[in-house]
Amino acid sequence: MQLAQVILNGLLLGGLYAAMAAGFSLVWGVLNIINIAQGSAVVLGSYVAYFAWRYAGLNPLLAVALAGPLLFGAGWVLQRFLIQRVIAAPVLITLVFTFGMDLILNNTMISLFTADYRKIEGVFPTVPLHFGALTLPVDRLLAAAAGIGVAFGLHFYLHRSRLGRAIVAVRMDRQTAELMGVRVEIIYATTFGLGLAMAGVAGCLLAAIFPTSPLNSAYYLHIAFVACVLGGLGSVLGAVAGGLLLGVVESLGALFVGAEYGTTVAAVVLLLMLFTRPQGLLGRAGYE
Amino acid sequence: MQRRTVLMGIAAALVAPAIVRAQGSDELRIGAPLPLTGPLAPEGQKQKRGYDLWVKEVESAGGFEIGGRRVPVRIIYSDYQSATPRAVQACDQLVTQQRVHALFSPFGSGAAKASSSIAERYRVPMIAPTASSREVYDQGFKYLFGTFTPNETLTEPLADMIMAAAPAIKRVAIFSRNDLLPLALSAEMKKSAVKRGLQVVFDEKFAIGSLDFASALTQMRSADPEWVFVGGYVNDLVQVRTQMRDLGLKPQVLTMIAGPAYEEFTQALHRAAENISSAAWWHPAVRYEGVDIFGKTENFVQKFLATYSALPDYIEASAAAAGAILQLAARKSGSLEGPALRDALASLDAMTFYGPISFGPTGQIEKLVPPVFQIQEGRPIVLAPTSIAQGDFRLGIT
Repeated sequence: MQLAQVILNGLLLGGLYAAMAAGFSLVWGVLNIINIAQGSAVVLGSYVAYFAWRYAGLNPLLAVALAGPLLFGAGWVLQRFLIQRVIAAPVLITLVFTFGMDLILNNTMISLFTADYRKIEGVFPTVPLHFGALTLPVDRLLAAAAGIGVAFGLHFYLHRSRLGRAIVAVRMDRQTAELMGVRVEIIYATTFGLGLAMAGVAGCLLAAIFPTSPLNSAYYLHIAFVACVLGGLGSVLGAVAGGLLLGVVESLGALFVGAEYGTTVAAVVLLLMLFTRPQGLLGRAGYE
Repeated sequence: MQRRTVLMGIAAALVAPAIVRAQGSDELRIGAPLPLTGPLAPEGQKQKRGYDLWVKEVESAGGFEIGGRRVPVRIIYSDYQSATPRAVQACDQLVTQQRVHALFSPFGSGAAKASSSIAERYRVPMIAPTASSREVYDQGFKYLFGTFTPNETLTEPLADMIMAAAPAIKRVAIFSRNDLLPLALSAEMKKSAVKRGLQVVFDEKFAIGSLDFASALTQMRSADPEWVFVGGYVNDLVQVRTQMRDLGLKPQVLTMIAGPAYEEFTQALHRAAENISSAAWWHPAVRYEGVDIFGKTENFVQKFLATYSALPDYIEASAAAAGAILQLAARKSGSLEGPALRDALASLDAMTFYGPISFGPTGQIEKLVPPVFQIQEGRPIVLAPTSIAQGDFRLGIT
């Protein structure tokens, strides 16, 4: 029963990780950009949720509707007018570029909001749900469900909508897509916008459970990176699978190896995965 | 090239204390690196409030008395953003660039230990108002002085009190932040528990910066402890307590150090803070008649209340005491020179509003008796020592 509870805890955590990793994975897959600023974007989303709750009493799960479009807009403009200038450069250049973005964003948040932790309180019932011997905290359940829901939403958007299919087409073959009349720079901007929007959404969901501080950003980036590589690059469903797997591995690691070694165990699993299946759980070989 | 670098380093190390000694004494400069932002910000802000109150008190008395003169006091703050390596850098800069006469250490045992070598190197006295672990003071340093007694002075009276209130308790769980003070406290708690024939059924650490404790707490719940001890700082403890409630973990006794003494703790947890037991080095209910600038404990509490509209806790009191102690030492030495001030501190034996001050051979305070308390109706109520007890121990948590 203890094992079942630990796996359940891991899945609940994994739902949040999935939302964090989905946007990161999309941007990496389509633009070939490793967005180091993703963790800070998640924190920014958390702040949107926090201030919306603090000053307007908005439920952090509803703040998704605010943080998502806001960060989408920011991402679109950033990509269209700044990142686009270096998009064709070697991957190291874009890496350094997003690293710089991260420094600016993170330090701006530290100077605006300070590094103190802020917590949304009193929104969700504090009495957990019980299923037999299993305990389910309401806030975690809702946030994890929302995280997975939004990631699936993104997946269906990419495969069902006209713009989404254009994004997938650019990811598969940029030049052919361009020849077919797809405006690649708009697709890039939209994709980067979607990536940041997902970060914003994940931030709102995290703010419902955990305290918010700019100091969390490095940890969030680490989660997004590991979940994305575990699940398979460029695949939104892969990111969901990677996020869930990471959550469960961390929880089991904490149970069997010790609470402080959860992330270490996850890192070992990541290494094993890179040795044995470098394309990740749901990625295609040669696509990484 | 390498040899030249080494030689330059040695030369700098030899010259530096001389530079420091050459400083003027038209004002007293104290360096205070603090975690004013970041996870330890609540603790850092408290230390600052204690220092500021002391400075205000010195100013209203006309300045800091030294060798028959009164000079103004300036505390030079440096925010190290809760990152210990930056605290060490800050100490170095405060001594070499700002030429401070004394240092108040950064927050907690870990950062105090790391930065104490700077004080030792430049022969600048450092008063650590928030470091209790023996590991900080066993380095053989001569310039480090601490105002907290060793950790077992907290865990022993706690264990006595809990065993008296609930003699049927047999199973203890210990959960600790992987950081110097919380680990040292947990180790002492374990010793105190084992000594009383209790069985430690869970003993785990969590990484600094952890947000999610669900797996460890699930494991703890399976071990079915009657008494849970958690060591950490206020942000950790609030998260652990919230997640215990989320998982329906309800031991008969819940003890947490160090956090329940702060108002933020009860404000963040509301009802969930009820009946959490703890111990600290000082409490506003203690009564001492000091010869320091604040005099009686009641006087200090009143002044603090008037300035900040809140009751002081042990960090705020200890920080203010650091200033008061420095003043007593300077009065004795008549000089702001590092070695003279250091000798005066080492031989100090005086009563203050904070309690009796005399430092042992390692520089750690002796004689002070830390009170045990429990959160009842949203307030910390002193349970021991009996001379200042305000209530009785209550079992169960909400």
